[in-house]
Amino acid sequence: MTRRERYNLLIGLLFISPWIIGFLAFLVYPIVSSAYLSFTRFSGFGAAQWIGWGNYTRMAGDALFWKSLYNTAYYTLLAVPIGVVVAIVLAVAMNQRLREIPIYRAALYLPSVLPIYALSFIFIWLLNPRYGLINLVLRWLGLPPIDWLGDPAWAKFSIVLLAQLGAGQYALIFLASIRGIPQTLYDAAEIDGASQWHKFRFVTLPLITPVILYDVVIGLGLGLQVFAPSYIITSGGPVNSTLFYVYYLYNNAFRYSQVGYASALSWVLFLLSVVLAYGIFRWSRRWVNYEVGT
Amino acid sequence: MRLKGLVFAIVLLGLAMAQTQVTFWTSSTNPIDLAALKNIVAGFNKTNPKIAVKLVQVTGSETDAAKLMTAVAGGTGPDVYMLDRFTIAERAAAGLLEDLSQYKAESLALNYLPYAWAETQFGGKTYGLPFDTDARVLYYRKDMLRAAGVDPNTLDPSKGVPTIKTIQDIAAKINKADSSGAYTQLGFIPWFNQGWHYTWGWAFGGKFYDAKACKVTPTDPGVVAGFQFLYDWAKNLGPQKVQTFISTYAPPNYPPAQDPFVTGKLAMVVTGDWFLQTMKEYAPNVDYGITYIPTPDAKKTTWAGGWSMVIPKGAKQAAAAWEFLKYIAGAPGQRVYTKESAHLPTWRALLNDNSLYDTRHLFFKNLLPSANSRPPLPVGALYWDELTSAMNKVTLNQAEPKAALEEVANRVNAQLQQFCK
Repeated sequence: MTRRERYNLLIGLLFISPWIIGFLAFLVYPIVSSAYLSFTRFSGFGAAQWIGWGNYTRMAGDALFWKSLYNTAYYTLLAVPIGVVVAIVLAVAMNQRLREIPIYRAALYLPSVLPIYALSFIFIWLLNPRYGLINLVLRWLGLPPIDWLGDPAWAKFSIVLLAQLGAGQYALIFLASIRGIPQTLYDAAEIDGASQWHKFRFVTLPLITPVILYDVVIGLGLGLQVFAPSYIITSGGPVNSTLFYVYYLYNNAFRYSQVGYASALSWVLFLLSVVLAYGIFRWSRRWVNYEVGT
Repeated sequence: MRLKGLVFAIVLLGLAMAQTQVTFWTSSTNPIDLAALKNIVAGFNKTNPKIAVKLVQVTGSETDAAKLMTAVAGGTGPDVYMLDRFTIAERAAAGLLEDLSQYKAESLALNYLPYAWAETQFGGKTYGLPFDTDARVLYYRKDMLRAAGVDPNTLDPSKGVPTIKTIQDIAAKINKADSSGAYTQLGFIPWFNQGWHYTWGWAFGGKFYDAKACKVTPTDPGVVAGFQFLYDWAKNLGPQKVQTFISTYAPPNYPPAQDPFVTGKLAMVVTGDWFLQTMKEYAPNVDYGITYIPTPDAKKTTWAGGWSMVIPKGAKQAAAAWEFLKYIAGAPGQRVYTKESAHLPTWRALLNDNSLYDTRHLFFKNLLPSANSRPPLPVGALYWDELTSAMNKVTLNQAEPKAALEEVANRVNAQLQQFCK
């Protein structure tokens, strides 16, 4: 390296130093430190006491660990695919050629910009067994009312429904992607006699697969970390049916002062998500089409 | 003219700088309690011009101290925190609280009710000053009893402690359902509001902790009997149907004005003295009475909890905070809180001041000497949450009482062990 290059490197590093410092202090340090703490008994204050693999072996015999893992898997496996479908349907709806479409777009997008706290309270009302809108619809259809948040068999699914109110965000990305598909492809399909459904199935859908992959990956990450609904609405109940992994982790750290155990829990979740993300990228090679707009 | 303004501004600034700023956090969200706390702070600031206490509302709950823990760890904690007293041992064991022995807090011990003082101790040291206390009783709506053809006088406290059987018979007459079978009105839900595991465990003569063995004892026959009572009650009404009733008329985070007892959906409820104030504010015209918590053998039972004032580790103005602690947890602060929020004082001298209590409030006060209190354990919050989870399973009939409580014992004792000598 010449003097000039060294000088340039130094200047360059100086310019990105805010990011480097931030990365080291707020990302690398906590990660390393939580890895260390996961092998200790630590209340959050004072000295951490080394206990080796103790926290990890404890997890294996902890019924609530397994329960929260199951709840989170259930939630993620339902919320992510449903979320993709809902977002695509919204995007297609937002793509209609209507004069007042900007209003519809805003209306469909609005719930996803509401703070989760406000949204939760609206949701509690929508799901009220007697006065809620959703059960009113069920009654019209002649179906029995459901105790959405109070029945352990339904509470998790209710949280999946709540997540759909945030679909507007992804719908917008899908919409942008759909708008990027050249009209010529649709024209060609039409000449070949394709119906509306065929155009969607064989033109639109293959060409938005990169966005589907994006949605799945982001949704998976957020799904595994689902926390706010159980914190705000259900406190993990009824009967631990909405005790999600991160909520259980939070309880251990901040209610029971078991920061060591909570750190171990967070590492297990991290490793699980790495494995899942890798699996999805491998799998995606079979169905994601990167030839959009060419 | 301009100079005058400048001088005035400088004097003001000087005054502000000479004042010691003390930050006081509470996680309370109850409008009545918050108003009382604000008045106490204002009273202190007036009589102590050198100290300015600022009340800040933060997120948290009885057993959730996340905000406090992260702030203290980050060196930005408050100087005073209002902490549920039964969790002092747990937070002190974690190293979150300042040891008040340095201010000779022990010299105040005799001013307080003994059980309240005991809850501020951990490892032979004092970590907080007791604030309020409370007691739990059975509230009943006379109008709803009458409408169901029950003479409200049967529940008058002069008739003694009602038996479980009495309450069962009355409740059965009040229950109403619509054509689909969904309850629209219920007589009594034992596990609603303050009908906790501790409430019924003690009502059935149970013991929750064995100090000698250093073990929690949720499988004590009395506690199991209390849970069996809840199990049977739920089974009798249909567990999911009761749950749906609660989801309908007391949805998550419902405001006090929507309480089913206030709105006339529930005729009897176990709750505390503070509820007197709720009734006064939100249902001033409702005709209701209070009596003892029902027990199988007509023996008096209740339990007392309450909050405390602590100085978190790393408080920047600990000395000034201590001055405020003595005020708010002493006679001046507790007097205001008792009067305005209808809680009870832990400051013994105030218990003799009958001007603070109306007739109903006196009933609570007189229960205090026989009240139980939760064992002050370093795993108190965990024990509470595990008991709650077990109660949840039992009231939905998803687990037998014995099995659910055995799980509690296993989980809590495993964590308690490390603190045993």
